[in-house]
Amino acid sequence: MIIESIELHNFMCYSGENRFDFTEGMNVIIGDNNHGKSKLYDAFYWAMFDQCFDTGQKKWMPTRHFGKDIISDKAIHEAENGLVRAVVRVTFKKDEDHIYVIERRLTAVKRDGIATADKESEETVVYKEFGSKQGKEITNPSDVEDLKRNILPDNIRPYMWFQGEQVESIIDFSQSSSLTQAINVLSNITRYDQVRALAESLEKSALDEYQRKARAQSKDKGRSDELEVKRNTLTERLELLEKEELNKKDNLGAADEATQRLMGQFEDASRMRDLDAKQRQAERSLDEISEDEKRERIDLHKKMFSRNWVLKGTGHLLHEYNAKYSTYERTRLERVAEVQARLKAENQMIQEIQTRLPINVPEPMYVEQMLEQEHCLICDREAKKDSDAWNSIKSLLDRSKANVKELEEESLSKHDFSNDFKRLMQNGLGLERDINNVDGDIKSTFQSMKRLEKRRKAYAEELIRITEDMNSMKAGTSLDPIQAKNIVNELSSKQDLAKRFRDELVRTERTIEQLKEQIKGIDKELSGLVSGELPAYLEEKKRVLEEFAIVAKSTRDRVFQRLVKQLEDEANRHYREMMQGNQGVRGIIRLVESTKGNYTPRLTDENGNPLGQLNTGNIILIKLATIMAIISARQGSRDTDLYTLITDAPMSVFGEDYTIGFCKTVSRVYRQSIIMSKEFYKNETLRRELLDSTDIKRGKIYVITPSIADADRTNRNALTTQIKALN
Amino acid sequence: MNKEQILQSFLEDELFIERGYVKEGEAQKFKWTDPRKNNLIEVLRMAIDGVMSKESEGVTARKVNSFLNP
Repeated sequence: MIIESIELHNFMCYSGENRFDFTEGMNVIIGDNNHGKSKLYDAFYWAMFDQCFDTGQKKWMPTRHFGKDIISDKAIHEAENGLVRAVVRVTFKKDEDHIYVIERRLTAVKRDGIATADKESEETVVYKEFGSKQGKEITNPSDVEDLKRNILPDNIRPYMWFQGEQVESIIDFSQSSSLTQAINVLSNITRYDQVRALAESLEKSALDEYQRKARAQSKDKGRSDELEVKRNTLTERLELLEKEELNKKDNLGAADEATQRLMGQFEDASRMRDLDAKQRQAERSLDEISEDEKRERIDLHKKMFSRNWVLKGTGHLLHEYNAKYSTYERTRLERVAEVQARLKAENQMIQEIQTRLPINVPEPMYVEQMLEQEHCLICDREAKKDSDAWNSIKSLLDRSKANVKELEEESLSKHDFSNDFKRLMQNGLGLERDINNVDGDIKSTFQSMKRLEKRRKAYAEELIRITEDMNSMKAGTSLDPIQAKNIVNELSSKQDLAKRFRDELVRTERTIEQLKEQIKGIDKELSGLVSGELPAYLEEKKRVLEEFAIVAKSTRDRVFQRLVKQLEDEANRHYREMMQGNQGVRGIIRLVESTKGNYTPRLTDENGNPLGQLNTGNIILIKLATIMAIISARQGSRDTDLYTLITDAPMSVFGEDYTIGFCKTVSRVYRQSIIMSKEFYKNETLRRELLDSTDIKRGKIYVITPSIADADRTNRNALTTQIKALN
Repeated sequence: MNKEQILQSFLEDELFIERGYVKEGEAQKFKWTDPRKNNLIEVLRMAIDGVMSKESEGVTARKVNSFLNP
């Protein structure tokens, strides 16, 4: 059935009479946030299922939970004392001749300004034939339920009527039940489950019967019983191990899944990690070289004096000085020689004069003795110091010494700087090597500084390059160095974990095989103990039911996988269409199975290589495509023709880029759809495309606006919703 | 899917070919009313019948046991 219209009378923000007419194709209700789109969705849901969505608790709640909130505030405010009512009426058209109307009402009583609503709403369902004004009320509750199931079967409801924010949970690929439920809609896999359960039960009972019979015919009942007990113990252990095996396969699956996921990011993460290490190294090198450079610059000034650079270019002065000093020294030495000669001559003469002392004058030592004693030994008379006699004696001595001169007494020049000059010359000799080396030293120092500068620049450039690479990687992959490091480490640990699980699984499988062998051995021994033949029918029964169990399990799995593949192909068809004309991530949806029947959606290229981590938008698109596929691929039915898709803001998660693609797909897949959307509200270009596109099969397009802006809505007593049809 | 289609899906299992119960490629053409006498196929028919008619597992099991017992 398709929906012909919905009438809202005083329902929530729709005060007064409001009506939307719908046709086949994609009907769109356009409105911004808090304009009433979700309340319109609530109206459909309330009419059909007596529930509205509580945005606080984020779940569907019955009428009594909301009470008078379901009734328009304006209607309550304006009502006199008495009854005030909210009504929603949905008209369904089965075909040209048959119409059904579902009406729901909630009544409140207003007294002295206070309104109290009934706890329960009332429902009326009317059937009309085309052309007939009067309809026939359907009063039997069972008939009403059948009608509603006809309008929207329970198993299809989640995939046909949903809010955008529910998309993620409608198909939860991590829950095997979620996909199984979806597969069941596609084709009833439950039947295969039932056949398998029957087969397993029959196999077990046949085996029990067989064993009972074998025991009854046993040659050695004691031994048979013993073997039975052992067999039972082994069988129990085998069952536990098989459960354990499944768990381990799950664990391994999860670890492999995580590894796969991380492998997809490993290359980028590894590169980012390497870049990070290079960056740190480059930073360290740059710091070191900058320090060295700084030190060199400081030392540069010190070297002016520590390496005598101040003497640069003074080599010629040194030579000049040395030359002058040589001349000076030569002159001085000549003068010394000259003076020495003169003194020698003079002293010789003095000595000669000294030898002419009177014969009777005692030796100088006796003269000195006389002076000391102040007594003349010759006259044997007192000669007090400084007396005439004494002075006379002294003059004899002075005369002998008087004129003997030493070179030191002789003044060679006015000021004698010869020692200073000599010291300077010697110092200069010591500095000569430094002076000769200064140029080379300066050159090599500046060369060294240049090398340091060059290296610093090289490190700085390398650091810039590495940083740019890192920034570009961050932008492209959304990975920072810490995340990259975590991915690399996590991959390593998951790989180790996977290996451990794999080893454990191998051990468990080996043990299972051993147990099976042991059980086989016991069975063989038990058979050997049987005297005579077991009834042929029993052998045949056991064989048939064993085969039945094998076939039931493998067929169920095969059919399920085939349906998953069908779902995958159909989802890809819708996905491709939604991505048309978009430069975003395309790829192919793959539903990859883990052991417990969970499926993980992956986006891969044609060769099956993962296309990288899925963002929220990708996942929502994949799920929407899958939801559509569930219905469109349903075998042997025209569900997309029979049932209306109603969805509130499905495009809000994946954004405007995919809106038109989504609309084209929806209008192609579903005979009728009613979409509440805000994407077309502000974006005029998008709205134009919606109205003009020949690829979209359009129904009615409406814009809804509230009479009071959201910001001013403290008082809702004047709140109404204006409905404007755009076509 | 109807009963026949469900039966055909089971007959596609390679066990049937390995044991010679059906020939290769025969599964898709197999009729629900095929007169061939094969206990496994007969049991399958009973199981599918029971599931499609929403019979309880116990009832179907009894039917199968009756069939396979002498």
